[in-house]
Amino acid sequence: MELLREFVQSLTQMPQSYVNVYMALLRYAAPMLAFVLLLRCAVPLLSFRREPEIWAWLCVRGGEKLPITHWENVIGRSKLSDIVISLSTVSRNHAVLTRYDDGSWTISDTASSGGVRVNGRKVSICALEPEDVISIGGLEMTLEPISRQQEQRLAQLRTKAASVWSSLGNVLLLSIFQFLIAVSYAMAGVEKTGTVLTGFAGIFLCQWALLIFYCCIRRTSFEVETVAFFLCTMGMAVIAATVPEEAVKQLIAMILGVAVFLGAGWSLRDLERAKKIRYLAAIAGIGFLLITLVFGVTYNGARNWLRIGSLSIQPSELTKVCFVFVGASTMDRIMNKRNLILFIAYSALLCVCLAIMNDFGTALIFFCAFLIVAFLRSGSIGTIALAISSLVFAGVVAVRIAPHALRRFAIWRHIWEDTMDAGYQQTQALMCMASGGLFGLGPGKGWMKYLFASESDMVFATVTEEWGLVMAVLTVLAVVALALFALRSAAVSRSGFYTIGACTAAGILLIQVILNALGTVDIVPLTGVTFPFLSNGGSSMICTWGLLAFVKAADTRQNASFAVPLHRKRRDQDE
Amino acid sequence: MNRIARRALALLLLTFALLFGLCFFLWEYVTQAGQWVMHPGSPHVYDEGRLASGILTDRSGEPLLDLSGGRTYHGDPLTRCSTLHWLGDREGNISTPLYGHYALTMTGYDLVNGLYHYGSQPAQMRLTLSAQAQNAALEAMDGRRGTIAVYNYKTGALLCAVSTPTFDPNDVPDIAGDATGEYEGVYLNRFLQVSYVPGSIFKIVTLSAALDSVPDILDRTFTCTGVYEMEGGEVTCERDHGEQDLETAFANSCNCAFAQVMELLGGDTLERYVKQLGILEPVSFDGFTSESGNFDIQNAAPVQIAWSGIGQHKDLINPCRYLSFVGAVANGGTGVLPHLVDAVELGGREVYTARTQREDRILSVQLARTIQEYMRNNVATNYGDENFPGLTVCAKSGTGEVGSERRPNAMFTGFVMDEEYPLAFFVAVEDGGYGSQVCVPIISQVLAVCKEVLDADPF
Repeated sequence: MELLREFVQSLTQMPQSYVNVYMALLRYAAPMLAFVLLLRCAVPLLSFRREPEIWAWLCVRGGEKLPITHWENVIGRSKLSDIVISLSTVSRNHAVLTRYDDGSWTISDTASSGGVRVNGRKVSICALEPEDVISIGGLEMTLEPISRQQEQRLAQLRTKAASVWSSLGNVLLLSIFQFLIAVSYAMAGVEKTGTVLTGFAGIFLCQWALLIFYCCIRRTSFEVETVAFFLCTMGMAVIAATVPEEAVKQLIAMILGVAVFLGAGWSLRDLERAKKIRYLAAIAGIGFLLITLVFGVTYNGARNWLRIGSLSIQPSELTKVCFVFVGASTMDRIMNKRNLILFIAYSALLCVCLAIMNDFGTALIFFCAFLIVAFLRSGSIGTIALAISSLVFAGVVAVRIAPHALRRFAIWRHIWEDTMDAGYQQTQALMCMASGGLFGLGPGKGWMKYLFASESDMVFATVTEEWGLVMAVLTVLAVVALALFALRSAAVSRSGFYTIGACTAAGILLIQVILNALGTVDIVPLTGVTFPFLSNGGSSMICTWGLLAFVKAADTRQNASFAVPLHRKRRDQDE
Repeated sequence: MNRIARRALALLLLTFALLFGLCFFLWEYVTQAGQWVMHPGSPHVYDEGRLASGILTDRSGEPLLDLSGGRTYHGDPLTRCSTLHWLGDREGNISTPLYGHYALTMTGYDLVNGLYHYGSQPAQMRLTLSAQAQNAALEAMDGRRGTIAVYNYKTGALLCAVSTPTFDPNDVPDIAGDATGEYEGVYLNRFLQVSYVPGSIFKIVTLSAALDSVPDILDRTFTCTGVYEMEGGEVTCERDHGEQDLETAFANSCNCAFAQVMELLGGDTLERYVKQLGILEPVSFDGFTSESGNFDIQNAAPVQIAWSGIGQHKDLINPCRYLSFVGAVANGGTGVLPHLVDAVELGGREVYTARTQREDRILSVQLARTIQEYMRNNVATNYGDENFPGLTVCAKSGTGEVGSERRPNAMFTGFVMDEEYPLAFFVAVEDGGYGSQVCVPIISQVLAVCKEVLDADPF
């Protein structure tokens, strides 16, 4: 401890000439390290081979065998069905064949005209036994699930996630990055150096602890987490430059976030469990908002803060995670229209709450998330058009009721016409960004700290000012990589639940980056939304980690995700 | 599942929206960041609309002003007063375009590095002024209004340029409430922003025109009886100069003789030469632009045209422009524009170095040499070489009449011929009295100090 204190002291009292050389090198080294790190993470995430897994065979009377490649399969005449049966007696979407975690199968009728018969009996949903004869539109078939041995081979053949060594290398690289940045802030002599260094050290320890935990449970993929920890590190750098006293608070939020990540991931591991938790999440989601409505305090015009002692939280952030849970759904339910109507009602309720709270930014995120879920579930452009037009209508009404919202839009693309008042925030941000150039002014050299919300809503400008435009662009690309990974995994995901979850979570991350980064620089209107992992804010940090769990749950690569159970293990238990 | 996987591709729209927005911003950044960073509200560059950091020094590196943190001026009140009109005051009453002109250079902005520069030390701007010469000039003015300027006619470096009255920016007097006239026009930099009635120093222009365009001018003599009658009035002299050749008439500054020269020359010819010599043109350097001069003989009677050739009637000249004209005479016919900023240093690197700005040739070498000889003769026979020990000075004095209620402006201009002291000078003392009497003692002190400065560091 004494040694550490001496080290920190020697850093803060370093001769200016050494500090200058260090900073001059770091401004190139930091973005370079970040680039290499993100490249190492993004390449496996975006290039893994997506081979279909065969879980069973559908044996049609007459000898033809159709492979079943998902856990949830739509049978129908439509070319978009997973199992296409081109018979006029078969409906476009006739039935859904679902596999469960324990290897059992069910078939459910999706309100088809012809109906589904199992062993001659008309059923709406029915568990399937190996010799059961399924009759769809007059075509008779039997289901032949793969054997345990085949299943094991399947697990082994599946694309492997990155090796332990590669993950270890990434975390090592990230650790070097963190060390260099932490040292630079100590050298720059920012206020509360001790607190700031604790913040960086906390992230460092947290990521290693998580990696060791992964190794213990034989999961090796750490790319998604590395990207998240990288963004958290840059977030800590912003905090060091702007509000150093909040470093430890943010660290605690991050640790809580990782806990939520593990918790949500665990609940997603078992689809049946996840489906049950879904109801809980629905209640919690609306509950958070109602509590805020009753006990919340207004801060900067939005009544979205809950103050418990000295702690202030934004429950609407946590509702986002719940919302993704609620939005995700399995195929058999998706095919049922009633479910969508319930979901629309739920979303509308949330939006009403947010409107009363005057939390415009969050409402917009929820609306976009709603669009994603609605489209994934219905596939109907008409529904989306209807939703958007109703938003426009609601927007017009809202602007009439709350004219200050109009001001925000009036200044959009006109910030330079009022640099002293309405355009002040963004013009100052742009001036600071331009001052930073491609490689930044260096740690602690920024002016953004004097600007309101420089560590949250305007964080993109703060990163650019101190670390350069290259680094800021890398933070955006980091989130893009996460989103594209979620999209790629979606194609081979086993259940619609995971696909919708991952895509919605990724969509929320993307929207937040669009609103935050592009809002700061006046490409879109400024709405006051946080940048995932980067912005200071405990609730936002926890929520973002929660969303990441959904991305992780869709990752079916071999031994990749803690949110996907290992097959071998379960077989061992069975025998 | 296939269906959902296909629908999930809609997420690509969001990704593309983000990437498109990002690229659009990057394009804006590349094309506009330079404007953003130089916006008056830019916090790294300006502090309440004024350049936020930078140190200005005199030619020897003596710090005159630190711009950061509300401005720190030089410790000595005399230096603060003598340099005020170039550095500006805190309130912005005396504003200087220097900082705006060099903001981009002093901040070292470029697209790749932004405002970063190694070590983050503020930029240092070295002026060509010598604090020592400034102080000597201010002391020599001894509370009178006017301006003194000395510059190197080979390089253009302004060694000294003082404008009075002035004040101490650290101890601002009650200027608005002043009734004594002590601070009349105090916010003006008289070297640049004022044009004076030149009086006889304008005879250099008339002389140049006559030498160049009247073929037998050197063979003629001019008789002065103290008064020269002309159509519309008379031209008068202080005394009766008798019969003189051109050189003696120039040395005597004989108005009657020059009225006769003007008759030979004609107003239109003089006007042509005034244009050709660029006497009326404003001078621009380092963001500053000087006042224009005036020469107007439209509808003028012959006597008024004669007075125009003697630097009266409607004649007005700007000190800075006239200094560079005299410099051109000294330099053999081609002038050099004055400049104030010698170099800007940023992060241990010189990011700006002054270059000598030559003007077009306005006089032939031969003509310039003749005028030099005539002006040299003035000092040798009239003003007294003993006033300029160790220097070979050429000069012309003037007394600019500005109306009956005020005393005339005393004017004096010229240059040093010595190779190691290539200095041209200009003195104007408002309400001063007779030109050479008032100005010679002043410029004698200032040139002595300038000589010392050049002896110590000849640039």
